[in-house]
Amino acid sequence: MFKKTPMAAGIAAFATILFAGGCAVADAGKSGEVDYTAMTPHELAEYLVFEANGGGFNLSQEVQEGGTARERMQQDELQTACSIIGDGKPDAETMNAIRAAAQESIVYPEGGITLGDWERGRELAWSGFGFRIGHNFDDHTTRESGGTCYNCHQLATDRTGGTVGPSLTGYGKMRGTSDAILKYAYDMIYNPHVYFPCTHMPRFGTNEMLTEDKIADIMAYMFDPESPVNQ
Amino acid sequence: MFKKALLALPVALAIGVSAHADSYQAPEDVLQGLIDQIDSVYLTQSEMNLMMMPDNPALWVGMDGEELFHTPRGPNNVSMEACDFGKGPGVLEGAYTEMPRYFEDTGKVMDLETRLIHCMTTIQGFAADDPAVRQRHGSGSDHMQLQTYIANQSSGFEWNNPLDHPLEKAMRDAGEVLFARRAGKADFNCYACHGQSGKQVRASVLPNAGVPEEWSKAISWPAFRVGHDNVRSSQHRVRGCYYQMRQAGMLAGSDASIALISYWTDMARGQPAILPDMKR
Repeated sequence: MFKKTPMAAGIAAFATILFAGGCAVADAGKSGEVDYTAMTPHELAEYLVFEANGGGFNLSQEVQEGGTARERMQQDELQTACSIIGDGKPDAETMNAIRAAAQESIVYPEGGITLGDWERGRELAWSGFGFRIGHNFDDHTTRESGGTCYNCHQLATDRTGGTVGPSLTGYGKMRGTSDAILKYAYDMIYNPHVYFPCTHMPRFGTNEMLTEDKIADIMAYMFDPESPVNQ
Repeated sequence: MFKKALLALPVALAIGVSAHADSYQAPEDVLQGLIDQIDSVYLTQSEMNLMMMPDNPALWVGMDGEELFHTPRGPNNVSMEACDFGKGPGVLEGAYTEMPRYFEDTGKVMDLETRLIHCMTTIQGFAADDPAVRQRHGSGSDHMQLQTYIANQSSGFEWNNPLDHPLEKAMRDAGEVLFARRAGKADFNCYACHGQSGKQVRASVLPNAGVPEEWSKAISWPAFRVGHDNVRSSQHRVRGCYYQMRQAGMLAGSDASIALISYWTDMARGQPAILPDMKR
């Protein structure tokens, strides 16, 4: 359950505030049949994901990071806290606990944050390859997994990016490369919940979707004056 | 004054036509009606598709489905006219837009795909592993031909899946929880893409689940996926969502998939369906 974040006092405090969804399942009715109508919506949802029909998903499929798809479907504390019907936000106390837990989860590079190779970062930002499973498994031995940044963000104007997140066009040109802004950008990529609790942006570092060197390359694409992002 | 009345007449007619909830309307007319109702970047993002809809390749797939539907098939040599989709055997008008629904004979909430499999196996006598039953995807499949024909009979009807039976309500409510359930490598839930208006993933404008006029188009499957050169189903769509959310692979016809489809149909309640649709 704590697989994604290191244990810390902040995490423990956060966990106690959390609503415990639980995994209670209604007693089986006659002939071993389960009565969906006796469960709460949350109980039934969990049952449908993990149990009904042997699981509503291909849970035993092996995944790129090791383990199985079952672990992907098990929610950690952050995911549970941010699963709100209507897409609202949890209360202020929970939001603050999320921020604290997020900051504690961030691992900084030895020697400090540096910018890598923007040409490599350009391809990583564009690539949507990686970590997909199910009916069309992404084979990481044949191709590098990318950052999928362009799905949600506009970066350089030579390619079409999404608008789910803010535009990052001209990012380095506008902000420079001070230690403060480099830390901010690094934190945002690693675990954006530090600044935006329950953001829809993935935790590329904490969830190990991007390695340290890939983050450095993508940051170079964002900050390097030579990068198309800043032309 | 006479000129003003003349100008007002087509508007009155248009309003009258779009207010009709219980009769067939061609898919492109349904979409145009929705476009006329609200300002939506999502609904208007492909003029080309809207122009091509009268010649939607899905319509030919539906015609194949019509022939298949009325042909006695399988070991029992019975046609799909004997299949009850919720409004009586062989009754198709407005049937698809009232699914998923509870069926007394199975005691389950079923979507069109699971109901088709039920009828193919129990009424027509096909084995469960017969290719006709197992092949769910592709314009050439029995499934997609039948689904497209059946759904087309409900084009223009309002989405109106029943929630009277406790099981229907339970499935719909579980679907609502699933819609918000953040999980997987990228922490996504459905709101990540479907919680706002006018946003795009790369070049594609996304539908907002909170805007019923947009959401009606979003859930209008079967639809011809231009980029796939194939007609796709609701099950294909929801499988694709979980796939690119980096969550586990959703199993075809699982109760989890039907719960989610129950919820997403409820979200479009009252809006007219575009069947078959045409999408990127």
